[in-house]
Amino acid sequence: MVLVVWRGCRIRKAVNQVSAAPRTVYLDNAATTFPKPSSVFREMIETYSFLGVSPGRGGYDLAIQAEELVNQVRGQISTFLGGDGPERVIFSYNATDALNTLIFGLVEPGCHVVSSRLEHNSVLRPLNYLRQQGVISMDLVPFNSRGFIEPRDVAAAITPTTALVILNHASNVLGTIQPADIVGEICRNRGIPLVVDVSQSAGTIPINMLAWHADAIAFTGHKSLLGPTGIGGMVLRRGLEVRPSRFGGTGVDSRDLTHVHEYPRRLEPGTVNLLGIVGLAAGMRAICRTGAGKIHAQEMSLVTRLRDGLASMDQVMLYCAESLDNHLPLLTCNIEGMCSEDLAAILDGDFHIAARAGLHCAPLVHEDLGTSPDGGVRFSLGPFNSSQDVDMVLEAFWKIIHRR
Amino acid sequence: MGLTGTLSISEDTVALDEGKEACFDDEGFLTDPELWHETLAEGMAKADGLPGLSDRHWRVIRFLRHYYLTVGKSPLNTELTRGTGLTLMEIEALFPRGIKYGARRLAGLPNPKGC
Repeated sequence: MVLVVWRGCRIRKAVNQVSAAPRTVYLDNAATTFPKPSSVFREMIETYSFLGVSPGRGGYDLAIQAEELVNQVRGQISTFLGGDGPERVIFSYNATDALNTLIFGLVEPGCHVVSSRLEHNSVLRPLNYLRQQGVISMDLVPFNSRGFIEPRDVAAAITPTTALVILNHASNVLGTIQPADIVGEICRNRGIPLVVDVSQSAGTIPINMLAWHADAIAFTGHKSLLGPTGIGGMVLRRGLEVRPSRFGGTGVDSRDLTHVHEYPRRLEPGTVNLLGIVGLAAGMRAICRTGAGKIHAQEMSLVTRLRDGLASMDQVMLYCAESLDNHLPLLTCNIEGMCSEDLAAILDGDFHIAARAGLHCAPLVHEDLGTSPDGGVRFSLGPFNSSQDVDMVLEAFWKIIHRR
Repeated sequence: MGLTGTLSISEDTVALDEGKEACFDDEGFLTDPELWHETLAEGMAKADGLPGLSDRHWRVIRFLRHYYLTVGKSPLNTELTRGTGLTLMEIEALFPRGIKYGARRLAGLPNPKGC
């Protein structure tokens, strides 16, 4: 039990409700990083306690100061992700929200969209909906046996009516980092907007939107950016016009019934998630203090240890993990003849290891791997994992394999 | 209510007493957990290759059903181990088709929708 005392408030924080309960080895950081750096909570509580007002709504000092803070974070994000300035950073609930805004704001009836079979449902479902409604047609490029798309396949899929190319930067199932810069060059030469989903990579892999020639990126705050859930956003290149699909209060021009045209308010109706924005900024600061490169190197060292250990067991099937170059610290695997959900349940219930089983909201990846409908078990490492955590997984696997 | 017909794993319905019919989804889970019956579980177990259900099988099945009917959801992994006195590895090994497709399905719990 940890007691947090702050300004006379006693906040009892039950780290382990039952002190005798063993610590869970958390290996689902691709879903959300856990735990977060303590500085994230501290900054959220401290800032929200004296500045928890509606940013930019009202002319009193606190409201103006809160808006200034939000705009500072926009600048921080733009710098962190290689964007085109703070006013082109738009906050959303999460990456799915941002991707929906981008997709619905960029496609026109009758247009064609290129995406990939590596995508998460945050892209596949909006696109499929628009296709079912007869609004768009689309082509999904495949991935190769190592888990990468081929830029030439993207080029070949582009048609005269292609209005959007949308790809993830890193697969949430395979961990493979896609050649966003090469695809960006293709799209720039063809004059087609490129949207990159950096949900899995932002915070662990350098993101440079402008250098990639990407027109927009969608990010979430609660994964490798180490912020809380409920905050995400998009960064737009200057000149990209995204039609708003939601309208409402923005704190300016209230007399006009037409929603404001200027960014970021054009795509940001309603009060922003100030608490989440503060936490996101604190998460990014925590990354910068340690260094994203250092964090990534440590995580890759651990995932390499995990890969090597699992690969030494004949009954374990690993997917696209022969090489861990251009890779996130995550692996997906199965034990021969065993349902992935059973494997994850055993890891959790018997060994206190939290890993994610199933299709990981990316059904086409599993379809192509041949692991559908049961999927696989994904291990995704984070900044707070250790070599002991990896060894516990390997020991558990050994026991599970030799259980009968 | 009991099982009047023979059961094969490929069937999507089974005739029960009182003119009722138990339906299964495409993965063999009962679509209506209320229609579960011990005889039905035994038939499903035979179709899975189990000659009979032992006391240990019934301990798991009864705990799953009791928990589901009482709480309205499946037990947590740790609750399942505490409630049965068995590890999940033991439960997985006990049923030829494992925990999800074996124990949980035989207990008549709904097909989990998580992915």
